[in-house]
Amino acid sequence: MKLPRLARRTLLYVALFGTALVMLAPFYWTVSTSFKPSGDVFASPPKWIPDPLILDNYRDVFTLLPFPRYFLNSVVVTGSVVLFNVVFGTAAAYAFAKLRFRGRDLVFGLLLLTLMVPFQVNLIPLYKIMVELHRAVPFLGADTYFGLVAPSAISVFGIFLMRQFLRSIPDELLESARVDGASEWRILRSIVFPLATPGMATLAIFSFVGAWNDFLWPLIVTSSDSMRTLPVGLALLARRNTVNWGDTMAGTVLVALPMILVFLVLQRRFIEGLTAGAVKDVE
Amino acid sequence: MRRRATVAGRRQGAIGYVLIAPAVLATVVFLLIPMVVSAYWSFTDFDGLRPPVWVGLDNYADLLASSRFMRSLQNTVVFVILGMGIGPTLGLASALLLNNRVRFRALLRAAYFLPTMTSLVVVATIWKMLYQEQGLLNTLLGFFGLPAHAWLADPTTALPAVVATSVWQGFGFETVVFLAALQAIPREYYDAARVDGAGAWAQFRYVTLPGLRPTILFIYVIGIIGSFQVFDQIFVMTQGGPIQATRTLVFHLYDRFNSLDLGTASAVAYVLLVILAVLSYIQFRLFEARE
Repeated sequence: MKLPRLARRTLLYVALFGTALVMLAPFYWTVSTSFKPSGDVFASPPKWIPDPLILDNYRDVFTLLPFPRYFLNSVVVTGSVVLFNVVFGTAAAYAFAKLRFRGRDLVFGLLLLTLMVPFQVNLIPLYKIMVELHRAVPFLGADTYFGLVAPSAISVFGIFLMRQFLRSIPDELLESARVDGASEWRILRSIVFPLATPGMATLAIFSFVGAWNDFLWPLIVTSSDSMRTLPVGLALLARRNTVNWGDTMAGTVLVALPMILVFLVLQRRFIEGLTAGAVKDVE
Repeated sequence: MRRRATVAGRRQGAIGYVLIAPAVLATVVFLLIPMVVSAYWSFTDFDGLRPPVWVGLDNYADLLASSRFMRSLQNTVVFVILGMGIGPTLGLASALLLNNRVRFRALLRAAYFLPTMTSLVVVATIWKMLYQEQGLLNTLLGFFGLPAHAWLADPTTALPAVVATSVWQGFGFETVVFLAALQAIPREYYDAARVDGAGAWAQFRYVTLPGLRPTILFIYVIGIIGSFQVFDQIFVMTQGGPIQATRTLVFHLYDRFNSLDLGTASAVAYVLLVILAVLSYIQFRLFEARE
């Protein structure tokens, strides 16, 4: 049995936009709830548009929690993770992809093996290392930016991704530069980095999303309120505060908003970047 | 000339070592050493303060005898099977729909992708509110005459509710990856199949599915490894409850860590490592067999 074209098209759009509704409605409800007095949160029938619309929840959240500080922490941590990953990841990937030296493939193979190790395996010793480090050097180790950033500063997956990308640079290009007397540093700076920009953008997006949304490690390695990142701050707020959903949703909006804004601006890059590697060729 | 080449080669080598040094150093210090230490601790009784005491395989034996651990293992397996059973299928279905000639495709794709971009903590907090007894989900179900239910407070529905949230979060990623893979299948294959008289189902079975095989494998490898490590949702939504109904492996590990039972926590980590290693090996072999 074949449905007429118009009916098929209609069904298709109902399914597609119905799905979009399921994906977006929870976000809308979050925003809407964040502007409601607590008595209206579970009102029946549901109040889709807050009436009265109040800002108290946002004021409460800012007095309950040092949100600007959380935001700053998230920015510093994520920014550092992205920077280190892009610089060191690209450098290492270039060496693995294009330079010839003894033990190269062995080291790369060993690095790849570590991809299989779930983070939880090194979590606890890593925490102890950071605690001891902090005891020895107060500005390093647990409950510092160093402690938050260091374990994520280099991702083997990022190196792997960049290596795949850099292999597409023709060897002849590098050889002719060498013949022309360019030093390896100059080749790296003037040929490799410019050509690697799209790959670096992908790597940056990966590490950005990973670091910004990271939870388990920041939860464990921070102990003072002033060092929490946004997700940790929110999770602790939600756990502490099981009654006032208005406050919790205001906090949720504040935590989600920066990432959503960045996503809306760089949408295409993000979607392509995060799915890179899934479909055969990267870029 | 030869001399110059070897000098250049040596220089290249030296620079190679310099370039990989930070990555190798970080991997050794933050990954390999902790990994070995963790293996050692899993054979000790250790509270993090007094020196570890060697107990052999006791921690592992205790795990097998611990009902909370066995429950966490069972819950994790259920979580993985349910999530991986539902999520990728829905993602593929929606990618097939989006792969038609549709208007607003970019807009729809972005809408589906939004939860994937959002941190699990945010997603879990939102759904925790939706699942409340007087929450929006029950209100909507009420329109269809269904009774209100305390989804997260009932041990039988708590774990499926967490699965649903996770599926919702991963759906956009799966859709987008499948869509990209679908668009990479050459149109001519479909044309040729049509010429041979293949209907819609035959085209799907003999052109689409084989073309998607590497992508399906990728989605399952990433998905299974990630799902076995489920933690954030549990921490925010249920704290492992009610009555252990959502306690997962990593939540159990976190709980043991918080109770300063570091030997047991390390043993849990190694159980997780072994499970993932075995699964990765099977998936790798499957992949090889297909290639």
